[in-house]
Amino acid sequence: MPENDMPIANPLVVLREEFDDWAVLFDPDTGNAFGLNPTGVFVWKCLDGNRTVEDILNTLQANCEDVPKEAEQHLNDFILNLSEQGLVGYEIRKD
Amino acid sequence: MKVIRTPRSVDLAITSRCNLRCAYCSHFGSAGDVDQDLATEEWLRFFEELSDCAVMQVILEGGEPICRQDLRQLIHGIVRNRMRFTILSNGTLITDEMAAFVAETGRCDGVQVSIDGSMPATHDACRGNGNFERTMDGIMSLSKHGVSVSVRVTIHRRNVKDLEGVARLLLEEVGLHSFSTNAASFMGLCRQHSEQVQLTMEERALAMKTLLRLRKKYNGRISATAGPLAEGKIWMEMEEARREGRPNIPGRGYLTGCGGPLNTLAVRADGVMVPCQQMSHIELGRINRDDLREVWQNHAELRRIRERRDIALSDFEFCQGCDYIPYCTGNCPALAYTLLGEENHPSPDACLRRFLEEGGRLPEEELLAC
Repeated sequence: MPENDMPIANPLVVLREEFDDWAVLFDPDTGNAFGLNPTGVFVWKCLDGNRTVEDILNTLQANCEDVPKEAEQHLNDFILNLSEQGLVGYEIRKD
Repeated sequence: MKVIRTPRSVDLAITSRCNLRCAYCSHFGSAGDVDQDLATEEWLRFFEELSDCAVMQVILEGGEPICRQDLRQLIHGIVRNRMRFTILSNGTLITDEMAAFVAETGRCDGVQVSIDGSMPATHDACRGNGNFERTMDGIMSLSKHGVSVSVRVTIHRRNVKDLEGVARLLLEEVGLHSFSTNAASFMGLCRQHSEQVQLTMEERALAMKTLLRLRKKYNGRISATAGPLAEGKIWMEMEEARREGRPNIPGRGYLTGCGGPLNTLAVRADGVMVPCQQMSHIELGRINRDDLREVWQNHAELRRIRERRDIALSDFEFCQGCDYIPYCTGNCPALAYTLLGEENHPSPDACLRRFLEEGGRLPEEELLAC
């Protein structure tokens, strides 16, 4: 069955917000931690399985100033990186 | 002072009970030695709050945590709430089934087991007859199931001449990657048995030298954050800095010896939150009644302990005239409390000047290289 195109955060992963909106994603199964800057935290909170990457980019542009033109590529790379580490997945579409 | 929003880890004394009565136990006879353990449901409810606070790691201790009949239920609660755990145990109650269970959770960072000697005579001297064999069986069960085992060796008067044997047993025969050491400190039951268990100045110097030599021999596989090995390393570094006339060592010269309350909170077996199990007389609130975030961020006593880092050693009468002030941290606040009744004071037990004045000698510098 195909996956949909709306990334969703692994519900097992813990978001630990530390100082000044920086944060750590903690995977309790592996013990691995993944550092996030404030933009990463913002994106992580958008990974609810109801938005495409394009939707997330639009939300980012609507909420943040001076979003660079490379943001789409950065966003795709970021989500791919999270996905490779098992922190993000895609729901299976029931066709 | 900036503090993280919630603790990264919590130390939970899930029981005040223990099947042993080690002569130097820091728990019995302390404020953490409480009459009643919390019910299962209370801990499970608290784990949900820990999860809401994004706490990552729980350290289960006691007493002896494996005394709790509901330990598996508690561990399931930890796993369900997205945390990892470590167990601090005397090792005597670890069965094959328990080791298998711990391994199957996939969330255990390790079990720390206490071994004090290479043979029953030295291990059991302070821990009671038959416990060397039981503890070794526990270690073997954990190893068999692939659970990470870390061994802590508490050094006292009865095992100080067996350290070579301990290193051989743990690193060569058992094949552990490493082990750590500390020493019987003036806390809990040790206060009643101080003469019998606490190292004399000569024994302390001997332990320091022996451990530094063994650490070199075994390529750094022996570590310590307290006790003679830690003191040996820190004091030699301080002496080197003094001799070279360095203005200071960064981060020293103040009461910076303990960073625990910046990252961790502890809970006694009766559910009272405290800064650490060794400072269990400082009551911060009760779990499931008081909000963890609020206690962590705003409790005046916790702030007082954290702000000890801003107190200069030069402010203390105790330190006046000491050449080591710019290189010293004042060490453990809990030990300062048990010795002097004041946490925000340098610990006299960790004073290099006093050690030297009483005839103590630091080991040869080449032992520091590893």
